[in-house]
Amino acid sequence: MNKDITQRDAFWDELYLRAKEDRNIIIVSADMGAPSLDKIRTDLPSQFVNTGIAEQNSILVASGLAKEGKTVYVYAIASFLILNCIEKIRVQNSMMAIPINLVGVGGGLSYPDSGPTHHLLEDLSIMRALPNFNIYNCTDSFMAKELVGQSIEHRAPSYIRLERQPIGHIYENQSFDFSKGFEQITKGNKSVLVTTGYMTLKAKDIISDNGLNVDIIDVFRFPYDKKGLASTLSNYDHIYTLEEHFSHGGLGSSILETLNENGVNKIVQRLDAGQESFCYTYGGREELQKYYGLGSDDILNFLK
Amino acid sequence: MLNFKELEDKCFELRQTVLRMCLKANTGHVTSSFSVVELLASLYYRDYINHDSSNPNWDDRDRLILSKAQASPLLYAILADLGYYDKKDLDLFAQKDGPFGVHLQNTVKGVETTAGALGHGLGLASGIALRAKMDRKLFLTYTILGDGELYEGSIWESMKFASHHNLNNLVGIIDRNFLCTTDFTENLIELEPLDKKIESFGWNCVKIDGHNLNQIDDSLKDLRNRKSRKPTMIIAETTKGKGLKSMSHDPLFHGVPPKGQENIDKAKKELKI
Repeated sequence: MNKDITQRDAFWDELYLRAKEDRNIIIVSADMGAPSLDKIRTDLPSQFVNTGIAEQNSILVASGLAKEGKTVYVYAIASFLILNCIEKIRVQNSMMAIPINLVGVGGGLSYPDSGPTHHLLEDLSIMRALPNFNIYNCTDSFMAKELVGQSIEHRAPSYIRLERQPIGHIYENQSFDFSKGFEQITKGNKSVLVTTGYMTLKAKDIISDNGLNVDIIDVFRFPYDKKGLASTLSNYDHIYTLEEHFSHGGLGSSILETLNENGVNKIVQRLDAGQESFCYTYGGREELQKYYGLGSDDILNFLK
Repeated sequence: MLNFKELEDKCFELRQTVLRMCLKANTGHVTSSFSVVELLASLYYRDYINHDSSNPNWDDRDRLILSKAQASPLLYAILADLGYYDKKDLDLFAQKDGPFGVHLQNTVKGVETTAGALGHGLGLASGIALRAKMDRKLFLTYTILGDGELYEGSIWESMKFASHHNLNNLVGIIDRNFLCTTDFTENLIELEPLDKKIESFGWNCVKIDGHNLNQIDDSLKDLRNRKSRKPTMIIAETTKGKGLKSMSHDPLFHGVPPKGQENIDKAKKELKI
């Protein structure tokens, strides 16, 4: 697979191959496109449903199809898919557990210059609050490809959170333990950074470029194996968390809960987007991250 | 299949059952249930819904999505009567250890969906009807909407979707009782001319008296022939609380059974219980 491919294209390329073999795979798009998705639209038109920019109806139609046995993927910009539809998702997919896959592109600050309507710094918190949901915060395009098989083989309500732009990769062709939900990227130090999604790649570069003695754990699924992660973290002297998400209810909150529930009494230092404001800054993702105190220098100072 | 006389008697019996259930629980939407008694009874007892109580998940059954889920005591009463579960279960409606509550839940045999949040049913039904088209299944999908529910924007998203996809296997029935929670619809934000609005969204639309068994029958009997590619919406003009003069067509009686001994006695007398 081309390492520079976006998560979005890696995902839809793989799903295209699966959908060609299985007519019960249906894509419901709220008028979102992607080059790889266009292949599905043109080659498999009976498996592609465009609802127009009507995300709530997308969830309802998808739920009707999935209730009837179809394997359904709803595709939209993540902020609208989640926030415009949360009550529909709650009743249809969390409460009744109708197993649709919400494929949201543009988590975090993935749409940097589109303004705060397109930023999404609340979704992990919101979706973590819903019973019966699997949240996959995709790390790279290899994982995006693997998430297709995971979502088909483990039929459950799922939120697959994808990056919009090519952001590099951290994994090679490998299988992932999605029930465990996290991966230890580096080992051997007394400090560890627990992070997720785009920030895993960013932090890895910062740590390696600056020769910092900090291990990395990438959390890519909520809920993850809490006992396993608590046990791993209990071996460290210093625990840091980093996320491109508001403070309340995201990864950092989750790690605190995990340690507390498992009797691991450690101080956790958290770096996140705070809880104070939306952002009208432009000029690329790094500029927005600086606004939120998540720029490269901020991360370096945090981990030093 | 019941004839019209038998169906009339069945409707009276169902009203008695719903009132008993709600009085016992001291909760439940009596008036919202009473406005759709003739409609739901016609669907089930005139055999417009293909179903099998011994095989509730039969893939070729017609689907009924009761989007106005506050009419749940009525549907629960019908399903018990049709053998989905013991009628004794009705005595525990909305009570401790009971199998069901004020709104609808899909854990009950014969119930397709959990509902109570409005604006869901038409989109869900559209997805089900689309699946039937995809798999060349001949079943119909019905959904019953409250007119108060039509203020939800998602309804109109789904309305556009269903006509665009030629879902002529989808039948919407609007319980047009002209009442919302606090006031009459036309005082809140007017819905009329409702038929024109729905037709302009690409649907066939018929308006009937929702308590007239002949008119209901006429509106349902040709649906399987699919003479048009359009989905069908039946606007059934009804009276909220129909059958109980003391509680009908009055905004004060949304979501409650009769309260106070005098009102309870009056209601019981009207329904001979």
